[in-house]
Amino acid sequence: MATATPAKPTPTLSFPRPIFAALSPHPFLQAHLTSTPNTPLRANGRTAQETRPIGVNTDALTHSHGSAVVRMGNTVAVCGVRGEILRAEDAASSSGSLSSTADSSDDDDEGGEEEQNEMEQLRLLVPNIELSTGSTPAHIPGSAPSTLAQTLVTRLRALLLSTHLVRLSDLRIAYTPPANPDEDAEAQEVQVKGYWVLYIDTMFLALDGSAFDCAWLAMLAALRATLLPHAFWDEELETILCSDEPEKAARLRLRGLPVPSSFAVFEGSEDGEGVEWVLSDPDAFEDSVCRESVCVVVDGSQGKGLVRRVEKSGGGLVDRENIKVLFKKGMQRWKEWEKVLEERK
Amino acid sequence: MNSDRRRINAPSGGTSAPVFARTVKESGYLKSLRPSRTRGPKELRKIFLQTGIVPSASGSAYLEIPTSNSSTKTLIPSQSSLKIICSIQGPKPLPRSAPFSPCLLLTTTVKFAPFATRTRRGYVRDSVERDLGVHLETALRGVIIAERWPKSGVEVVITIIEGDEDGWWGDDVSSTGVVGGGPGAGSGWGLLNVLAGCITVASAAIADAGIDCVDLVCGGVAAVTRNSASRNGQRQGAVQILDPNPSEHRDIAAACAVAYLAGRDEITELWMKGAIGADPEPLIEGATHAAVGNLSVLREVLLEAVEAKFKGDTEQEKEISKSKSSVQDVEMTG
Repeated sequence: MATATPAKPTPTLSFPRPIFAALSPHPFLQAHLTSTPNTPLRANGRTAQETRPIGVNTDALTHSHGSAVVRMGNTVAVCGVRGEILRAEDAASSSGSLSSTADSSDDDDEGGEEEQNEMEQLRLLVPNIELSTGSTPAHIPGSAPSTLAQTLVTRLRALLLSTHLVRLSDLRIAYTPPANPDEDAEAQEVQVKGYWVLYIDTMFLALDGSAFDCAWLAMLAALRATLLPHAFWDEELETILCSDEPEKAARLRLRGLPVPSSFAVFEGSEDGEGVEWVLSDPDAFEDSVCRESVCVVVDGSQGKGLVRRVEKSGGGLVDRENIKVLFKKGMQRWKEWEKVLEERK
Repeated sequence: MNSDRRRINAPSGGTSAPVFARTVKESGYLKSLRPSRTRGPKELRKIFLQTGIVPSASGSAYLEIPTSNSSTKTLIPSQSSLKIICSIQGPKPLPRSAPFSPCLLLTTTVKFAPFATRTRRGYVRDSVERDLGVHLETALRGVIIAERWPKSGVEVVITIIEGDEDGWWGDDVSSTGVVGGGPGAGSGWGLLNVLAGCITVASAAIADAGIDCVDLVCGGVAAVTRNSASRNGQRQGAVQILDPNPSEHRDIAAACAVAYLAGRDEITELWMKGAIGADPEPLIEGATHAAVGNLSVLREVLLEAVEAKFKGDTEQEKEISKSKSSVQDVEMTG
C-alpha cells in the first residue's frame, strides 16, 4: 500500500485511498490496473503475475513433533504436527475389519488405492485449521467454524489424501515376534500393533488472502520437519513404548512436493470492454472483488511438471488456453517453494 | 469422543500420547531430566515483545519468554516456553440489535492452540480458557477509558501458541504412569504465568491500537516455595521468588499474579492460589515488583514502535512529495 500514490486533487469530490477502496472496490482496482497499460499494477503495488515472497521457519514449537511458521506477505500461519498413538485394537473397533498384517507392498513411490483407503478409514491424518484468532476482522472467535474455514480444511484434507503425501508405512508401528524354535520360521509374520495419528493443526495469525496456499505450505513445511520417535511394542509391559533418543527417530518420507497456486480473475468494467486480468496470489481485498478463482496444484519433483489438482469456481473467463498459462505460472511458483523449503532442511 | 461435524475428527478409538521407554524402565532417568532454576530469586526471565504484527487488526502484539532447553540427548522437551499473540479488533459500532451502552464494551477471548501444551487441546474453549478470559477482562476494564466510545465494542483476542506448564511433567508420570496424564497436581501454577503474559501482551496491543488508557497495565507473578531441605521446619524455609517457572520448583506453596498500574500504584486484578497464611502482603508486593520489571520492557517496545511510526511517516511524506513531481498520479475518482 505504501508505494501507491494518493488521489488526484483536481476533481471536486475525491476520497483518500482506503475510503475509495471500501466504497467502490471494483472501480478502485480497475483504476489501478488500467492506469499503466504496459505493466498493470495492482492496488497493492504488485504486477498481475507477481507473487508475494514467502518465508518459512521450522521447529519453533516445543510440544510438536514438527512445526512451521509460514509468512506470505501479510498472511501468517503456524502449523504444529503432533503424533499420537492409535492402538491396533482401537483401530479395529472403529473401522471394521482391517488387515492386521503389515505388507510392505505400499512402500513404492506411487501409493496405491488400498493404502489411501486404509489411511482414510483409520483417520490417521487429522488436519484442522483455525481462522478465529483475531487474524481478520471477519472471523470473530466464539462462533462455530465459518464456511470458509470448513471449506478450506476439507480442501486441504482432500489434497493431503489424494496426493498420497504421507506413507502408511511411516505411520505403522510393527512388531516381529521373536523366533520360536517350536514353530515354523515362516509362521512368524509382522504384526501391526498400532499407528501414529498425525494431528496437523494450523492457526492463522494474520490472514490476507491466499489462505489455502499458506495453510498448505505451513502443513508441508511442518510435515517435512516432523521427527517421529521410534515406537516399538514392548512385550514385557504389553504396550507401545517410544524411544526418546534422537538418533532412532525418523523423519517422514513424503511423496513429492505438491504446490498449489491460487489465482483470481478480475473482470474489467461492466460496460462491455471485456478486459480481464488474472492476478497471481491475490490478497484479501482482491479476493473480495474477484468472482472467478482458480487453484492449480503442480508437482515438479519428478523432473517433469505433474498436475495434481485443479480447482476453479465462478465465472467463465479462464479457458483452455488460459489454464495452460496458469500451469506454467504454477511451475514457477513450485520452483520458488522448493528453493525455500530446501533451505530449511 | 465427541464428534464435531465442522472439523476433521480424530479416530473414534481414541489416541494416546507416546510413552517413552526410558522414563518407565529406568528409575533414575526421569529424575535426571528435572530442570532447576538457574536464575536468582529476584531475577526475571527475558521477554521478547513486538507490536503491530497483524496488519488487518487495529492493534496487535506478540510476547515470548524463551527457554534455553535445546537438549540433544532426548526428544522429550524438558520445559515449555511462553508464546502469546494478541490482536485487537475495534473499537467498532455495536450491532443494531445490541442494547444501548454508554461506554465501550470489552470482550476478551483467550484460547490455547492445540499444540500449546504437553497434552493436546481441543478447538472448543474449555472452562480454564473462559476463566482466563474473565480474569483478563477484569484486568483491562479498569484501565481503558471506556466513556470515550459510547455504543461501541472492542474484541481482545488472545491465542496462546505455547503456554507455561503447571508443574514439572515428570511428577505426573510418576503418579499416573503416562506422560501428560493430567495437569500438575491440579494446582494450575502455570496459569498465573499465562495470565500475567496475557495482561502484558494485551496492554501492548491496546496501546498499539491507540485506545485511551489511564496508564500502562502490566502483569507480574511471584510465588512462595517451601525449601525442600527444611521441610520439617514448616514455614521457616519459605522463599519468595519472582517470575517462577513452575516446572523448576518442586514445592510451590502459594503464587499470585497481579495486573499492576505502576504510575498510579493500583492493582486492577489479583489472582492468588495456594495457602499463604495470614500475611499475603509480601507476596503481592513481590508480584508488583515483577510487573514493574515487565513494564520497563513494555515501555521501551512501545516507545520504539512510536518512534518508528513517526520516522516512517515523515519518510513516506518525503517520498510522496518526490514522486508527485516525477510520476503521473493514478486517477481515483468515482
